[in-house]
This record gives sequence, C-alpha cells and structure tokens, in this order.
Amino acid sequence: MNKYIQALFLVFVLISCSREPELFTNPDIEKAGISFKNTLTPNEDMNILDYLYFYNGGGVAVGDINNDGLPDIYFSGNQVKNELYLNKGNLQFENITEQAGVAGTSDWNTSAIMGDVNGDGFLDIYVCAVVGLNGLDGHNELFINNGDNTFTESSEKYGLDLDTFSSSAAFLDYDLDGDLDIYILNHAVHTQNSFGKAELRYERNAQTGDRLMRNDGGSFTDVSEEAGIYGGINSYGLGIAVSDFNLDGYPDIYVGNDFHEDDYYYLNNGDGTFTEDLKSHFGHTSRFSMGSDVADLNHDGWPDLISLDMLSEDEHVLKSSEGDDNIQTQRLRTDKYGYHYQFTRNMLYINREGGNYQESGLLSGVAATDWSWSALFGDFNQDMEQDLFISNGIPKRPNDLDYIKFVSSEQIQNKISNTGLIDQKALEKMPSGKTHNYIFEGTSELVFKDRSSNWIANDTLASGATAYGDFDNDGDLDLITNNLNSSPTLYVNQTNNKGNYLKVRLKSNTANPFAIGAKAYVYAGGIKQLKELYTVRGFQASSEPILHFGFKDIEMIDSVRIIWPDRTTQLLTNIEVNQILLVQQANTRAFNYKTLLSKQRPLFLKVNDSTSLDFTHREDAYSDFDREKLIPYQVGDRGPAVAIGDLNGDGKDDIFFGGSKFIASQIFMQTDSSFVKSKIHTIQNDSINEEVAAVIADFNKNGANDLFTATAGGDFSNKSKPLLDALYLNNKSEFIRANLPQLFENTSVLAVHDYDADGDLDVFVGSQSITGSFGKLPTSYLLENKNGNFAIAQEFKELGMVTSAIWDDFDGDSKKDLIVTGEWMHPIFLKNTGDKLVKQDKIKGDLYGLWQSIIAFDIDHDGDTDYVLGNWGENSKFKASDEFPMLMYYSDFDANGQTETLVVTEKNESYYPLLGLDALASQLVSLRKKYSTYKSFAGQTIEEILSYNQLKSSKKLKVNTLKSGYLRNDSGSYTFVPFNRDFQVAPIMTFCKFDFDNDGADEILAAGNYFGVQPFHGRLDSFTGALIKDEKTIITGDKLGLDFAQKSIRHLNTILFQNRNYLIATPNNGKVQLYQIGKSIKN
Amino acid sequence: MYKYPTIFFLLALSIWSCSKDEKPIVITPNDYNNAVDKVTEVIIHDIFSPPVASRIYAYSNIAAYEVLVQKNKDYKSLAGKLTDLKPAPQASADAPVNYDLAALIAQMEIAKTLIFSEDKITALRDSLYTSWEKQNPTELSASKEYGLKVADHIKSWMDGDMYKQTRTMPKFSVNPDNPSRWQPTPPAYMDGIEPHWMKIRPFVIDSASQFKPLPPPEFSMEKDSEFYKQLIEVYDVRNAMTSEGDDSEKIAIAQFWDCNPYVSTHKGHLMFATKKITPGGHWIGIVKIATQKTNSNLMETVHAYTKTSIALFDGFISCWDEKYRSNLIRPETLINQYIDDSWAPVLQTPPFPEYSSGHSVVSGAAAEVLTQIYGDDFSFEDDTEVAYGLPVRNFTSFRTASSEAAMSRLYGGIHYRAAIEEGLKQGRQIGDYIVKNLNLKTDTAQAAN
Repeated sequence: MNKYIQALFLVFVLISCSREPELFTNPDIEKAGISFKNTLTPNEDMNILDYLYFYNGGGVAVGDINNDGLPDIYFSGNQVKNELYLNKGNLQFENITEQAGVAGTSDWNTSAIMGDVNGDGFLDIYVCAVVGLNGLDGHNELFINNGDNTFTESSEKYGLDLDTFSSSAAFLDYDLDGDLDIYILNHAVHTQNSFGKAELRYERNAQTGDRLMRNDGGSFTDVSEEAGIYGGINSYGLGIAVSDFNLDGYPDIYVGNDFHEDDYYYLNNGDGTFTEDLKSHFGHTSRFSMGSDVADLNHDGWPDLISLDMLSEDEHVLKSSEGDDNIQTQRLRTDKYGYHYQFTRNMLYINREGGNYQESGLLSGVAATDWSWSALFGDFNQDMEQDLFISNGIPKRPNDLDYIKFVSSEQIQNKISNTGLIDQKALEKMPSGKTHNYIFEGTSELVFKDRSSNWIANDTLASGATAYGDFDNDGDLDLITNNLNSSPTLYVNQTNNKGNYLKVRLKSNTANPFAIGAKAYVYAGGIKQLKELYTVRGFQASSEPILHFGFKDIEMIDSVRIIWPDRTTQLLTNIEVNQILLVQQANTRAFNYKTLLSKQRPLFLKVNDSTSLDFTHREDAYSDFDREKLIPYQVGDRGPAVAIGDLNGDGKDDIFFGGSKFIASQIFMQTDSSFVKSKIHTIQNDSINEEVAAVIADFNKNGANDLFTATAGGDFSNKSKPLLDALYLNNKSEFIRANLPQLFENTSVLAVHDYDADGDLDVFVGSQSITGSFGKLPTSYLLENKNGNFAIAQEFKELGMVTSAIWDDFDGDSKKDLIVTGEWMHPIFLKNTGDKLVKQDKIKGDLYGLWQSIIAFDIDHDGDTDYVLGNWGENSKFKASDEFPMLMYYSDFDANGQTETLVVTEKNESYYPLLGLDALASQLVSLRKKYSTYKSFAGQTIEEILSYNQLKSSKKLKVNTLKSGYLRNDSGSYTFVPFNRDFQVAPIMTFCKFDFDNDGADEILAAGNYFGVQPFHGRLDSFTGALIKDEKTIITGDKLGLDFAQKSIRHLNTILFQNRNYLIATPNNGKVQLYQIGKSIKN
Repeated sequence: MYKYPTIFFLLALSIWSCSKDEKPIVITPNDYNNAVDKVTEVIIHDIFSPPVASRIYAYSNIAAYEVLVQKNKDYKSLAGKLTDLKPAPQASADAPVNYDLAALIAQMEIAKTLIFSEDKITALRDSLYTSWEKQNPTELSASKEYGLKVADHIKSWMDGDMYKQTRTMPKFSVNPDNPSRWQPTPPAYMDGIEPHWMKIRPFVIDSASQFKPLPPPEFSMEKDSEFYKQLIEVYDVRNAMTSEGDDSEKIAIAQFWDCNPYVSTHKGHLMFATKKITPGGHWIGIVKIATQKTNSNLMETVHAYTKTSIALFDGFISCWDEKYRSNLIRPETLINQYIDDSWAPVLQTPPFPEYSSGHSVVSGAAAEVLTQIYGDDFSFEDDTEVAYGLPVRNFTSFRTASSEAAMSRLYGGIHYRAAIEEGLKQGRQIGDYIVKNLNLKTDTAQAAN
C-alpha cells in the first residue's frame, strides 16, 4: 500500500518534471548513434591556469558531405579525436571517422567548419588547432573530401597547415574572384598584466594575429598585411561573423575579441583591402566578446548583429561575480590606452543602413545570458521572425568574487609561486558556471521573449559550439551543440507543420559551388526577409549551407530574389512554401546594389567648414560618483548652456555657449560671413562658473539684450559663489553683472515669460539638485522682474529634481501657464492666475519618469496643444513599470552625517539594488560586517540588506515609466502615449520646433543620448535624433543627414545666417554641429 | 608505577578546584601573541589596506595596555598622552578582576569591532571563554565586565578619530592631464586607497604634516634631471637583477618585504589574489620575535606591541598626508609609457601615490621605538614571512632591518630612491618623536633599570 503511494508519487514527479518542451526535443544521443564526447582531462601542462581558454570547448560542423540530401555532423574535440557522423535518415547517425580518415592529429582542436575549398561540389572540413602553447603539437588540418566518404588531409598542400593559436576560421570570397578564401581567427594569450596600448594591434604576431588567406587556386596565400588585417599580440579573437554589412556586394567581417582589445569591424573596400572602422560605426561593444551571429531582424533588408558576453541575469551569480570596471578604469582604458567603450553584456546591434549601429541589447531583452558561447539566429518556430538560440555554461566560474578574494589566496598562492600549476583541489573550490541554454522568440518589435523554460529542456551542461541543420529533413531547423565533458545535445525541432517554410539550396557553376556569400531577399505577406549564405556562425562552428525561411500560414511566396556572390541576380516569383528550392545560377543579370540604399533624401546638410562656428565644449573631469558613490547618474555634466540672440545690436543673432567648471563660456558674434569668437570680459571672467542654461533677452527694457545665465556643475557645494546664477545687463555693449536673489541650487533651466503682464520678463529658475545630497529635493523659484531687478515672487519647495520647464497656456485663458518636469518627477502643471502659479492635476494616472525635456506641439493635428516629453528610455539597467516602479531611497542610512542614495529595481517581483557589495560598502561600511562573503550578499533583496526602520525612515522617490512619449490633450486632460522603440534607446535631452521641411507646418526635432552613468549601464549613445511630423510620421536622424549617434546632444537651436536657416546642435563634451536646413538645400 | 600519583593528583586537584576555591586564570605573553596573530589573520582575510590595518593593531593593543596599567606600577597610562584619550574607568574595588585576563578580553573586543569577519575573532574568544569558564567563572565574569568596560571607553574615544567620516568622503579623482600625477596601475587598476587618511586623528604627533618630508625631485622627463635619473635607476636596478637571475639577493630582499596585502593576478578570465601581511603586520611580527627572545612578561609584551603600533599608526598618517599632497606617479607607469611598455616591476605596484614610501616611513618609525625598548644591538631571526612562503632573514638591529625594508622598494621597482631615503628619514623622525614624547615607564621602573 505504502509502496503503491510512493510509486504513484514517483510517477507524478517524473511526469511533472519531464514535461515535454514545446519546440525542441532532445532524443537520446547515443540511440541516435552519436558517441562523441569532448572529455577534458586537465593535466600539469593544460588546465585553466596554464591555458586561459581551456574551457572554450570543441567545434561542430554540419553539412551534407555525401550529397544525399541529409546533413552530416563533424565534431572536433579538444583533447579527444574528432569524429564524423553520417546522417542515415530518421535521426540515425553512423560514426565513419575511421574510414573517412578525419580523426585529426593535433593535440588541441578548436573550431571545425565545412566548406568546398577545391570547388568540386563536395564539402571539405577544416579543423583549427592551438599549437605551440605549452608543448601542444599539430597544425590546422584540411580534410579534402574525396567524394566517397573518405577524406585526404591536405592542409600542407593548400598552405593552410597553420601552427598558431587558432580558435576559428570562416570561408568567404572576399575578392569576389569566385573561389573561397579563408579568414583564420587566432587568439592571444597575452599574459602581461597591463592592458598595453591599443596600438599593439598594428604589430603582427605570428601566433596570435589573425590571418586572411587568399585562395589562389589550389593553394592559399597569406594576404593579411596587404589586406589591412590586424595581427597583434592583443587580439583575443573568439567570435567571427561574415556579412555584407554595408550592402555593397563585398563581404565584410566582424571579429569579436575577448578582454580589453576592441572588436574589429572590417569593411571590404572592394579592392582586396579592408578598412577597420569599429569606432565610427559602433558606440560601444561587448567587452568579453565571444560568439556572434548576423541576420536581418527588423525586415529592413540590412543585416543586424549580436555579440555575446558573460553577464548573468541571476542575482546570485550577478552579485557574486566580477562586473564592469569603475569609471576611472574605463577612462584610463579609453582615453589613455586608446580602446573603445566596452561593457560586459551581450550587445545587439541594429544596422542603420550600414552607418551607425543602434545597440539595443537591454531594450531587446537579450543582454544577459550568462557565460555565453554561441548565438544562432533562425526562425525556429517559422513565424517570420528570427528567434535566437544561445549556448552557454562553463565548468568553473573563474570570475567568482569569493574565489578571487578569499578562496584563491589560500588555495592557489603557494601552488602558483612554487610550481606554476593549479591543483585539482583549488579548482574544486571554484563554483560551477553551468547554466541552461537560452532560447528567445523574436517579435516584430525587436523584443526577444525568453522561452528557455518552455521551448527547450532545462540543461545543466557547458554547451559551446552550436550548429543548425535540418537533420530529419522535415523543413524546420534542428540544432546540435558540442558540450564539455558530456555528449552533444541534439535539439529536434517540433514545429513541423505548425508553420510554413522554405529551404533554399544554391548551386553555382563557379569554384564556389555552394554560393557562399549569396543573398536571398524573400517577399511574402508584405514582409521582406533577408538571408545571407555564410555557414560559419555562432562560435567555433559552421551550419548547413542552406537558407531557411519561415512563413507562418502564408502558402505562397511572392518572390525570391537571389543575389549571387558575383553581384548578379535572378528573380523567382510565386514560389510555393514547404519545399526545398534548388536554385541553379542561370539567366542572371547584373545587380545594382545602389537600389538597396534608402531613398530618403537628407533634410540636413552638415556644414563641415569649422571656420563658420568653431566651438567645442569640454566637460571638466569632475565625476559625481567620486563624491556620492551610489547615485544613479551624474548631475555635474548637464551643460553647456546655449542662448541665441543679438548681443551687439547689429540685428544679427549671436550665440552664447556656457563653459564647464573653470573653462570660460564663449560668445560668437554673427557677421556677414561667419561667427566670430568675441570676448565680453565681465561674462568670461566668471570662468569658474559652469553655465547650464542661459537666456538672451532685454530684461531691463533699455533696448539692448542682456544675458541671464544659470549655473550648476554638481561640484560646488553649499553656498559657493559659482553656484549663483548671473544676470549681465547690457549697457551700450558693456555688460555689467547685476544683483540677483542668491540661489545656490544646481540650476537646470530658465523659463522666461512676463507672467504678471506688467511688461517685463520674469524668470522661472528650475533647480535639479543640491550638491552632495542627491535625492534631496531642491527649491525652484519664480523671479519677478521689477525694472531689471529680480525678486523671488514664489518659492517652490521640494518641487523635484527639475530638468525642464515651459510656459504655455494650457487652460485657454490667454495667460501662459508653466509646465515643469524633471527626474523622479511627475510633470507638474502650474496654472498662472496672473499673480501666482497654482498646481493643477491634469494627467491621468502616475507619470513619474526621469524626464529630461518637454515641448508644446499639436502632434495629432487636432487643434489643441499636446506636450512631447523626453524620458530616459528603456535601454539601460533601469527598469520601471506601474506595477513595479523603480525606487530610490534617500537617507543617512549609517548615521555618519552623509546621505546615501540607493536605487532598486524589480526582478522576479523582488527589489534588488543595482549596485554590488563593493559599491554599496564603499558608502555603507557596515555591510561588510553583515556580509562577509559575496555569496551571502548575492540574491539579497533591499529589505534584507537594510532594516525595516532604515527603509521606513528614508525618503522614497519613484519612477513608473522610462518611456519617452507625449501627453495627448483630450479636452484639457492629458493621457500619456509612449513613442515607438527608436525613441526608447537613449535619453531624449532636447527638442526644437521649426518648419524644417518647409511644408508650412512645424515639426519637432528631438535629440539626446547621455553618458553620465556607471559602466554597468553601458553608454546610452544610440539615439540618432528624430523628426516628428505627427504622432505616426517619425523619421530617425540617420535618414535625415544628422550625425547625432555617439554624441550627447543637449540643445538644438535654429538661427538665421546669411538669410538661410541653420540648425545648431550642441553636445556635451564635443564639437558643436551646424546644419543647413532642408529648404535651403533645394535651392 | 610512578605515573599513578600524578594522575591521582590531577584528578584530585580538578575535583577540588571545581568544587571549592577557583584557581586564578593565567594569561601568558604567548596567549597575547596568539590573539595578535589572530588579528593579523583576519586582517589578511578581510583585505585591509596598510593604513587601516595599522588602526586595528593600534586600538586593540592600546585597549589591552590601558587595562594592564591599572595594576602595573611600572608603566604609565596613555591617557592624556594620546590625543583625546581620557583615563580608563576603574574596576569596582571589590570586583575580583584579573587584569591580565581583562586586557586580553579588551584587545579581542576592540579587534572584533574593527575587522569585518567577526566570526573569526569570536571563535577564538569563545573557545577561550569556555576554558576560562571552567577554570574560574567568578574571575572571568569580573574580568570580562571590566575588560569590556575599558573596551567601551576605547570605542567611544576611537569613534572620534574621523575614520567613520572618511569612509564616505570622495574617492580620489585621478588627474589624467598632468603627467606627473599618480595613475592607477596594473593589473587591477584600483582606485587610490585612503585618500583622506591624513584626516585621521594622530596619536602622538601634532598633526599629519608635522614631519612633512622634503618634496620629491621635481618631475621632469629631461634626461639630466634628478627625477629622470631616479626613474632610470629603478629601471636599471630591475634589469641588473634580472641578469643576476633568480638567486639575486635583491630579489630576495624585495620579496621578503613585499608586505602587499592584496596582490592580484589575472590569467585570462581567471583571477586570484595572493594575500599577505601589511608592512605594519610585519613589524608587529618583529615585536613578537623581540618579546619572545627577551622573555618579556605580559606587561612588557603589551607595551612593546602598543608602542610599536602607535608608531605605525602615526607613521601611516604622516606618510599618507605626503602621498596625496605630492600625488606622484609610480615608476611603472612612466617606464611603460616612455621607456619600455613591457616592463614590469618585481613587486606589484600598490594602489596609491608614490611619495613617500609607506614601508620606509613606518619601518623607520617602528624601528626607533623598538630600539628604545630593546636597544640598538639586537640581532634577531626574522621568520615573520615564513607563513607566506618566504625564507627567514637575519638582522643585527631593528634599524638595519628598517633600512633594508626601505631599500627593498627600489629593488621591488615600486619606488624611486627619494621616496625611500626621505621616507626613512620621515619615519625615524616620527619614531624619535614618539620615543621622546611617550615615555611610558614610571620613575620607579626607570630607577630599577
């Protein structure tokens, strides 16, 4: 009886545990006939201490080696022999390694890839090896397919028997001569503890430098140097992706480098050379770059890219692992050593017509998949959107903080100093890093949904190289992963007939019969899909040489355009789904790649003549994080102020640019031919001030324009004079500093209007912060002008951390009212009664944001005024929703007289601080006593970290939306409508209203980006600006001729110069940009 | 045959002592050494930087000292002699306080407050409590009460030393534009540590800047400048050592005095730390050697620890004052930048500005104090570093040891000569000042000498 219940229970448990995954099943690999196992045996010469990539695993290549229509599998092993499995159908495989002669002879194999090197129509196999390190012997091996299931190792004959530190290789026809060349990715083992300068990459190193090998018909020639391929001692190449990124018909290359070396973005010049140009196309990259993949994700016909890193989303891992650098180290690496911005997380780069990539890993939900090796895009569920499979896991997690700080010392130190070895006992103390593989469902909004818990079975393996192929020939994409110390995993796709598909096989009559490098643009259901035939994808692997498309329930494909590697094309129309379409290169015509480029005409023309307006803003070196280590972002970098107006009475508008701390402001007087830098001593002598807002207007009504400047900088504190705002009255072009009420807050905005209708201009002074007390709400002021003398008319205590304010008549009483907004604030509507401002509730629902900007604009053209609001965006580690707002606690938690600010966000319905133990304890030392290990801290919620009383007695601020959008005016009450994703990639810092396209109606131009965040956020650099014509017609800046990516634009102004309208875009810490506006271009 | 009576005697004794009069608890100098060793162990585990470590040693030893002087007529209290320290509270007259025991309890209590991993101190404490409880619960109870009372007294005094406030003061901001200024160094590129340590209240010296050394040679990369010559000396010394090979005496000296609490090593993604005692920790180890060699009693032992740790504490304040004043760049940064980008020093460069050399200052200060106590002609076998895999070195005096410690920084490639020579001078002046201003022996004790 008892046993019965037990048995029943067991059955129940088994059933509930073994719930079938919805998309992929894993058949018993041994029953499928695959006995390969990449077993690692650490020994005295080879272990994680002696070889940094000891755990990177082997390779896997998928392809039909006997042309029977079934993809076969080749595994490479690190220390074990390589194995080849023939696909016999019905998911049965036969090990033919021995007869095929492909076991290999190298001591340490890495990647395995397939490609038809000799152009005979049979796939050959190329296996990479690490040679020369710690006595490892061998060389890269090329197994030429004899066409009869046997192979002949011919690497020497072909000149491909490299004995270097190869991690992978990729086939491409870079010179479009019709045969396959090969790029060999070598990895560095640079053990120097210092970064070394970025210039190290220019000096070739035979073992670690990458190689480009040109196929000269029967043998390969190393053309790396002449082709412009870097080959330095610093190139930790782990990821390689080949794609025609800029759609000029020539294959380009993205190389992912581990550690501090930048990734390389090689653009093919079409003349046999490449130009590496990462920095101008990518704002930032993954830091510990591993595998990568390319696919067009948003149906715009341009290839997008993912590059993997090792950030975990699991609080327990995240908070006990080494994270990103601090700001100073980052500055050192970028400014001093010349590296680019790199951050520890997966990066998803959306290709904006080959120009700047929009990085949206966080916004798209794919930033953190732990120790990730391979990424493969594919329409696994055949719904017309690219899904994403990521393999991951490492047997031992070497960046575990407890291990580094507490365990290693005792375990390793003597061992290392005496023998240079790490022993097994020391290794055992290192925690495991085996996490489940990830699979994401792609959506049309470029948001990936994590389906790991239901599409695939949860695994605890260290999975590395991964390849796809349709092993059971049922039309959908199956997967195979090569695992460490266990059998490979076969993922059999069960989509079957739940979605329609098309598999395209290409046949070319060149020496590249598989047509590697071909593209297929497929149109169906009004949607465009692009696939490029490059088989080397993911990590140390190559996939089946087919192009696979999903079509949901669409039965007929309108057209399939094949563009062959030789830049010819053929068009096939009305293609039925659910078939293998074999396309033979025939009846082609030349393809004009220019037809793929955007037809949008730029509206702005950048004036590159620096003599016309030569201003560069330099931010001072002050870092707010040095003083207040826990604050969520800086406030000391919000300048410069920009004000436009006629200062010298010649009828032409001049320009005032604020300076940063100790750097003087600058004034440019407009002449007939240019803007001339001029000195107004009273103003520029106040160079200590950091001006962040300024207005040019006639405040004392003497007929000459005066200058009102507002100061901040976040550094000057208490009642420091440089915090005082300044009014410079213009008396016959002599500027005299006038008295103002003494306001010591860090000001953010000046909004000018004669609110009391007495004929002179009054000023609203908005304050953002109080130095040293981030989170304490400063007072803002309304200053009333009495004949050029200002007095405080109204104080707004604790109004909020104000960033922007506008005067606009929101209640139709013909008096302009004030709308104020800011960070951790709800937009505030202040009705102007004629003598004071009274708060009114106008907005439906909570709208606490990190608001940066506001402008009045009838966005829906319905005749009333809406308000467009710039927020932080959703592409950072901040996270906020109505249900789970982001919270900021402000208090002197440790009662030492200095306040602290703690920001927490929700994860799985609990709140965690964004910062780790080291950061928190740098301000709250007592946490060191509470948590003596990182493990004990990891996974702790804020309620566990701080006491109930500490939290209760603190001030709490919140943010419930980070989205930019607009307040839709519904008869005087306002509803927030968020913008699309392009607006959410970065903070929107400023707006400008103007009839830019000269159609008689105003548009709004938006600009932004912001870099004053800790490195774990990354760099919010991907917003290219946008022109908003109405709520539906929004054009991003990259299509308009605007160069805003990677710049933090703070102000947009228009100015009339030489009878033409110009746009001035002023960034923080950068060179001002001047653009001629559209209508002039037409002239 | 003859074992029986002993066992019988012990048995009888134990029954007797449990039931009747309790035996006094005896605290030996070795018990105290063990407690100090435990503090060293936790300092290493918790990775306290050298200045912070000196504070842990100092206050815990002072607490013990202030208990002991209550009954010992040969030594004077530190009250009124150390800045802001008031006389310790007295035990109630009828309490059966064992002052030796109370001193050890006070030392452990202060140490526990100052370190992070309290469990490591409480483990030792509780095992001692258990055995003392068995020996004499009455005495333990009274001594514990008094020891903790003095500890409280010390705690409220140490609370006012600005340590707490300096925890949340701004991080050190690197000045990237001035080529003479300190920059973070490989491999961990850590922030400059304790940039506000000069604000810590000193014990004996008037102020952090009382023994301000001469400024370092003016920064210049002109080949004939004094600064450049000293830079090249660091480079040349390293190269000469390399050619001498592993058996170089200079390498041995550099490694022996490394005293870097956290040497970080990066091997690919694998990172690990080699943790050792601090410079102060080394001198605390020398105190132990000296007290053992001289068979010092508990009072003498605690006195030696206390006075040495006071010298170390003031030495670090004085040195850190200069470090963040001159804010000088490390030789490694300059050599990599101007001379040889693959050059690495023998020792890992510690994460703070170069001038003056901390080890030189505190070694100079500690050696003066120890020389006063034990004389200039005091040879000893220094086995302090054996636990960290380094050999024993022999010295003929504390001063020769301190000179070698100072010079080790040149061999280690982490300091220029000026920082060493001026640092040693600075330290000796501090030590001398402490010797002159902190005479702790009473007249009777001096007369007896």
